[in-house]
Order: sequence, then structure tokens, then C-alpha cells
Amino acid sequence: MRAHRYTTLAAGLAAASLVLAGCGEGSGGSATGDSGGEGGGDDQPTIAFVPKLQGIPYFEAMNTGGEQACEELGCEWLYQGPVEADAAAQADIVRSYIQQGVDVLFVAPNDPDSMAPLLQQAADAGIAVATTDTDAPDSVREVFVSQASTEGIGQTLTDELMQAMGGSGRYAIVSCGETAENLNSWIEVQREYTQSEYPDAEITDVVYAGEDQTVATQMATDLMNSDPSLTGLVGECTSSAPGVAQAVRDAGKIGQVQTVGLGTPNSMAPYLEDGSAAASVLWDVEALGELTAWAGTQLAAGEEISASPDVPGIEGVTYDAENNVLLLGDPLVLTADNVGEYDY
Amino acid sequence: MSNSTLTPPGGAGSTAVSGRDGPGRGRGRVLPPPVTSQETVLIVVIALLWLVLSLATPAFFTAGSIVPLLVATTPIALIGIGMTIVIITGGIDVSVGSIVMVASVITAQTMVDTGLPLVLAVPLSIAVGGVLGLVNGVLIAYGRVHAIIITFGTLNLFRFVGLQIFGSSTVEGIPRTLNFFGRGDAGRTLGIPHAFLITIVIAALAWYYLRHTAGGRHFYAVGGDANAARLAGVAVRARVLSAYVVTGLLAGLAACFVLAQGTSSLAANVGSGLELAVIAAVVIGGTSITGGRGSVLGTVLGALLVQTVATGVTQLGWPTQLSSLFVGVFIIVAVGADLLRRRTRSDS
Repeated sequence: MRAHRYTTLAAGLAAASLVLAGCGEGSGGSATGDSGGEGGGDDQPTIAFVPKLQGIPYFEAMNTGGEQACEELGCEWLYQGPVEADAAAQADIVRSYIQQGVDVLFVAPNDPDSMAPLLQQAADAGIAVATTDTDAPDSVREVFVSQASTEGIGQTLTDELMQAMGGSGRYAIVSCGETAENLNSWIEVQREYTQSEYPDAEITDVVYAGEDQTVATQMATDLMNSDPSLTGLVGECTSSAPGVAQAVRDAGKIGQVQTVGLGTPNSMAPYLEDGSAAASVLWDVEALGELTAWAGTQLAAGEEISASPDVPGIEGVTYDAENNVLLLGDPLVLTADNVGEYDY
Repeated sequence: MSNSTLTPPGGAGSTAVSGRDGPGRGRGRVLPPPVTSQETVLIVVIALLWLVLSLATPAFFTAGSIVPLLVATTPIALIGIGMTIVIITGGIDVSVGSIVMVASVITAQTMVDTGLPLVLAVPLSIAVGGVLGLVNGVLIAYGRVHAIIITFGTLNLFRFVGLQIFGSSTVEGIPRTLNFFGRGDAGRTLGIPHAFLITIVIAALAWYYLRHTAGGRHFYAVGGDANAARLAGVAVRARVLSAYVVTGLLAGLAACFVLAQGTSSLAANVGSGLELAVIAAVVIGGTSITGGRGSVLGTVLGALLVQTVATGVTQLGWPTQLSSLFVGVFIIVAVGADLLRRRTRSDS
């Protein structure tokens, strides 16, 4: 009985390794255009996307967008990421895609610095490399597909909060990781923009809750308690945005304390509806996936991207040829009126 | 005091219970004092902190501030009660964060799908926690592998199960059923938060059981010297098993508190890192990490101290990372105090 089980296991492993080996060879060939032996291989570039981590709604929505776009544009969309936002695990997946010889490789790097040499390695292997969602500026990436400009996010967040607060008052920010570069640069814009455009408003404090929504909620509660004159809160990431709104709801301060944040539509819907959140600022994540797939087809075909490219189904895309940044457009503002239109 | 006839090695130590004490020994030497020196220090430190915070930010000592603080303490304090028992037996359970994850996602998903009422949601969550605790308990009691290895394994296994249930998504639109345990108005009666009251009642029962019953003292015996305990007739395996089951059950209940304190959406990172926060509370509370000594009262105070520091740092407008500094110092001071006590004892 036991011997039999081991035999089965060994056979399974052998079969798996054959499949893997076959995969490597087949896709290796695809770089020169005869993948899988199927007729359509010649004009079907393989585009691989490695997110920071797999299994969170944000990247799953990007994946959905990428898959759909590839179906329409004619490309093969591959998607795999680490189960935790870990740079080493992500590097392993990137290596496996280099080995497979995909045509275009998109990465949203967890650690841009350690990812740079790997991207060089991919480029050396003849793969078009690019970043999306998060950039690796000091790398050989040909394009960075950006969801929104730093100014766009920071200013829209401030404008939305100020509109709810009536253009003045004291507010605090519940951020997440202390070293998250994108969050910190948004906060920097919020500080400058608030100071220059809303002289009667003031940012009193910035606290860091990590990615934990109960911590974010408790910190927002503490902020409201320590400063009764506080009339606004910002949740700087997808766990803090519903967190600060929940704190306002629990404290019975809906209408007294306004909140905005960067939250996904489904998680913000209940708070936008009862008024504990005034608005959520994000970008259309599925469209970001679509744009990523589109950029992949351009890279695979070796096409130049124009300053205001014509992307099917997405309006307002711009391309900065100097920095090779493809920008999705203005941020998306979610309110009680439009939040129902999105499902992620 | 004929509860027990055990005298673990080093039985002159203050925690040992012995029915064969010499005539010169008074009752006071048999049981440790009701409140140990470490707990006294904790009570004084917390009281001082509350006093200082009240002076520094007038809003601190108000119901609007204290109630959320007490509620935020409960998941860690509650799991800490189980963890204290586990660590007293010489074990450890690093899988509690994953247990909270599995229990909370199953409970949240069921509430979303079926509109499960509170009276069923809580038993469901507790039952899930109990089953996972039983898995830990059986593997540790019968597997003869150290608890840290087993629970490190189940930490990952349970996490896998939880991720499968999450299925690359978050649970959205969780109804407010569990607000009974939350920090809002629905979570209090006469101003007292339900979650805190439940935690205190369970802690008091555990404290009494561990301190004043023979069964309770057996946990200390197991942690002092499992072989000696076995020879003295203690059902070591049953004690070890039950410690992990209790921890699982409490983690299941704590999952309800976590859901109540969270938002209407639940993400897959729920409970991650919780085990370290719980172990920190237990260690700060004076429980010896090597087993055989510790108290539930200390753990609850440890959890309260950690949350007081987090709240204080935020309310004072200090940089958030200072809470890590303070918690780190508390842990090292607590372990240092434990070492000193042990050295003093072996010298005398």
C-alpha cells in the first residue's frame, strides 16, 4: 500500500517535471514566434504580469482587465504573483517567466532596487521589460504604466476632502506603511497643496497603521479623541480608507467629521452610502490592467507610443516620451452616486 | 490545601503547591501572592500612564476615549488567556493569528450569505476556533514534537485554508450583526463595552481555575516538569491537549471581536502578526516563557499596557514608530525581571 503510494507520487512528480520542461521549451520557442505548435502563434505575443502579490482584489481586478484586453487585442495574458508581498518570492516568479521566454514582462515590483538586475537579465534574454502600478525608475524598463500622477492623487484627495469640510478646518491622515514611497509622495503633495490652496485648513498629524484595518480604525478613533476640533480624516490606502470611515461611524460623528480615502468601490460602498465617507479617490483598476495589456502589444510589435495614444476603450491616456511613462489619466472619484457601477 | 501533592523540582519556588510542607511553612508560602510583584508594577505603570495622558490630553480620560481603548485590548487579552495557559504548560501557539483568520472569514462569509444572527454567528466562530485548536492539541500532545514546530506548521496550513475560503478576494458587505462587540453605541450597556466585560469575566474564571483548583495547578506542574507531573499522576496529554483547545476556542471568540472592530470588508491579511502581539502581552504580564509560572491577570494587564501605549502615542501626536520602541523595551524589561527573580531564587 505504502509502496504503491510512493510510486504514484514519483510518477506524478515525473509527469509534472516533464510538463514543466515542455513548457520551458515551448515558450522558449514563442520568442521566435512558433509557440505551442498552434497556427495563431505568430501574431499572439505572450504578455506576463507579475503583481506585488496575488489574491487581493486590487491586482485581481487588474488581471481581469488585462485578460479582457488581451482577448480583444489578440495576445496571451499570463498572471502570477507571490502569496505575500515579498521581494524574493516575486523574483522567483520573474525568473520563471524569463526561463519561459515570454515576449513582454510587466512587473509591479515589491522592491524596485532588487528587481532592477533581474529586469536587466530579462532584457538580455530578449524580453521587452516594463513596469506597471509601481515603477522601478533605475532599471532598464522600457515603459512604466502609471495609474495616476502623484499630483493627481494628492490634489484630488485634498479637493474632495476640502469640498466636504467647506474649505477649512483641521484634518489628520491615517497612512499605512511608513516606508511606502507612493503613499509618502501623495502625502507630500497633500501637505503642499493644502498649504497653498486652502490656507484655512491644516494637517494636524500623520499616523501609520500598517495594512491593518482594525489598527487604522483605532488610530482614527484616538485622533478624534485627542483633538475634538478635528473635522477631517484621510485614509491613505485601501485598508485605512474604510477604517477611518468606520471610526467616524462608531463614534457617532457622521457629518461632524468628514473622511476621504483611497478605497476600493466594494469596501467603500456602505460608508459612502451612510455619509461616513464623503468620497473615495482611486483609479479604474480594470482599465489599468487593460492599458497594461495594450502597452504590452505595442512593445511586442516594437511600435512607438504617441503623446496621446489611441487606446481602445480608455479615454485620456497620455504618454511622456522623455520618462517613458504611460499615464492612465485623471483619478476616479467614487461617491455614493457612482460607487455601484464598479464591482471590485 | 490538599489540592495537590505535587512538588516539581525547585519545588521551594513560590508557584509550587505542596501538601507536604513542613510545619514551619505558612499558607502564604504555598500559593504565590494573589497579585505578583510584576503585576503590581504593571498596575502602577498603567495607572501612571493614564494619569499622565489625562493631564497631557484632556480628552483621554473620557468615555469616548477609554471605551475604544478597552475594546481594542480585548482580542489580544482574550487570546492571551489561552496563550498564558499554553505557555504555562511549557508550550507555545504561534498559529493563533491564522485561527482568527479562518474563524473570521468563515463567520463573515456565512453572515453575508445567509444573514446568520448573532446567537449563531458567535458559536460558529468559536466552534471553528475549537476545531483548529483541537488539531494543534492532538498533534502536540501525541506527536512528541515541540509546540513551536507544530504550530508554526499549522500557522501555514490554517492560512492556506483561510486563503482558499477568501478565494483571491475580500469579503464585502459584512452586516453589522457583530456590532454587539464593537466600540460603537451598540457595543455597550450602561456605558460598559460588552467585549471588555466578557473578556474580564473569562479572565477572572481562568484566574480562579488556574490558581485555586487542583486541575488548574496541574497545568503548572506540566510546565515545571512534565515527567515528574506524569509520575505524580497528572494526565499530561489531556492537560496539554485542553490548553490548545481552549486557546482555539478563545481565538474563535476573538475573531468575532476582530470582525466587530473592523469594517464592512474583510481582507486576507486579517490576524497576520497577531500571535506576536499576544505573546508580547503574555511575556510583559510576567509569564515565564519557559513554562511553569505565570498568570492570566498579568496577561490582561500586559495587553492593556500595550494598547495604552499605542493610544497614548497617537493621542500625544508622537511618531507612530515609538510604540514599537516602548513595546520592545517592555518585553526586554519583563524578561529581565523574570531572569532576575529566578536567579535570586536559585541563590537563596
